[in-house]
Amino acid sequence: MAEIPTQYGIILAAILFSLGIAGILIRRNIFFILIFVEVMLNAAGLAFVVAAARWGQADGQVMFIFILATAAAEVAIGLGLLLRLHHLFKTLNVDQASDLRG
Amino acid sequence: MTSAEIMSLLPLLVLAGAAVVVMLAAAFFRSHRLSLTLTLVGLVAAFASLPLAFAYTPRQVTPMLLIDGYALFYMGLLFAASFVVALLAYGYLEKGEANPEELYILLLLSTVGGAVLVASSHFASFFLGLETLSVSLYAMIAYNRTERRAIEAGIKYLILAGVTAAFLLFGMALIYTDTGTLAFSGVVAAAAVRPSLMVMVGLGMLIVGVGFKLGVVPFHMWTPDVYQGAPAPVTGLVASMSKGAMFALVLRYFTPIPPLERQGLFLVFTTIAVLSMVGGNVLALIQDNVKRILAYSSIAHLGYLLVAFLASGPAGQLAVAFYLVAYFATTLSAFGVVTILSTPDHEAERLEDYRGLFFRNPRLAVIFTITLFSLAGIPPTAGLIGKIFIAAAGVQASLWFLLIVLVLASVIGVFYYMRIVITMFRRPETEAAQQALTGLPRGASVALAALSVILVGLGVYPVPVMTIIENMVARLV
Repeated sequence: MAEIPTQYGIILAAILFSLGIAGILIRRNIFFILIFVEVMLNAAGLAFVVAAARWGQADGQVMFIFILATAAAEVAIGLGLLLRLHHLFKTLNVDQASDLRG
Repeated sequence: MTSAEIMSLLPLLVLAGAAVVVMLAAAFFRSHRLSLTLTLVGLVAAFASLPLAFAYTPRQVTPMLLIDGYALFYMGLLFAASFVVALLAYGYLEKGEANPEELYILLLLSTVGGAVLVASSHFASFFLGLETLSVSLYAMIAYNRTERRAIEAGIKYLILAGVTAAFLLFGMALIYTDTGTLAFSGVVAAAAVRPSLMVMVGLGMLIVGVGFKLGVVPFHMWTPDVYQGAPAPVTGLVASMSKGAMFALVLRYFTPIPPLERQGLFLVFTTIAVLSMVGGNVLALIQDNVKRILAYSSIAHLGYLLVAFLASGPAGQLAVAFYLVAYFATTLSAFGVVTILSTPDHEAERLEDYRGLFFRNPRLAVIFTITLFSLAGIPPTAGLIGKIFIAAAGVQASLWFLLIVLVLASVIGVFYYMRIVITMFRRPETEAAQQALTGLPRGASVALAALSVILVGLGVYPVPVMTIIENMVARLV
């Protein structure tokens, strides 16, 4: 089996990462913003796996598992806050749910 | 793992154990006082184990953690900050009806995260420490879950910290792709010898991530909103612990890169420092909300710290360590006063809430005045001594431009700090607002009084703290 060049993997990860940023900037629904944060985190995870494959080490895969675990913790709290937001503001739109002004 | 390694990890182990104990205690006995007591005992025990661990330093425990005087010093600072926040939170939460016990678990966990962060010597421990700190903070910021603004602040911080983590991770991955190591020492060596394009991009993304965490301009947008929406004691924690731990780590690992190789980085950090000092102080001028004023003030203070960071060398290390001690005490004291006047239903954040405070509770007004003097850098307070050390470090490194900006920015700062002081000494208009303010929570009052003694003490006689810093921090350089 021919090996996939490292650059391809990194470029794919970079594209995913950019999609994540674009999504966060464009979407106004908190639910989709959380999903795009996950896309960004997983893009970083993919880059770690690709890098680990390049060096023949397990470190990158271990980092990916750490990312999965912490992302899960983040989403658990994120969804909890999302429910509270919906309860208090009756909307999931981040522009409408904005009281804090200076 | 040898016993020496376990001994040097003792502060972390004790603290993590305390978090578990408080969690179990809260599961069986819902007693606010018990949770607070266990938390305080845990923090004191962790603090007391620092000298024990110091006997076994410096020691690299697994590739992940480097326990040395530097790490232990900042751990001590974080534990002390956490202790004060616990005392403040108790008085604050007593006035509310929500379940208060869980806040202490989160507080201990965030302290563990901060302590891992300052001791980390590897990307994995850096990331895990940071996430432990941040994830606990999300929940603490949104702790008043019936308050719209707390939930909003919590979500803002969550999304921002998530994006920050993604930036940091992607930067780490890029550096790892090029260097093949996740240990900081290897990364620093690689960055100093042959900074390839991929390493440069990776470093850039790390700086974005770190910048967001420190809340420096241009990554500061979240700071005022989160400071305003979070419960006052938690705001104190965000301002001190999460920023201080990150700064200590950055200082340790960016300093060894020789000045010549970091020309590009030098320029980036200089720009960030100038923007933060000027931006923070100017934006604070147009605020009417005390919490937002303090938020912008913290942006400016991080800018001052960056000047010492850029000066680097032993003088820079010394200045940063002292300034962080002074900044921690000052920030906690400031948010302590806000906390004592606030309840979970009503945060005392408008400037009007402070009008005539001197006539309602003179002691509190004096404490707040000392605190604001320290923030502004007026003698005889710790803030002034801290600024002098930064200036001395800057002069040694000939950073004239930065020093001029620092002085001018501090002068702007005096205006809005004095505005709060003057408001406190003006007579309130209505009779109702003139009533004496009594029955303040005892623990929080004692903590505040102690903090102002420390602020003045450091301002008059900073030698003991300097000795500790020299022994623990500067010995590395």
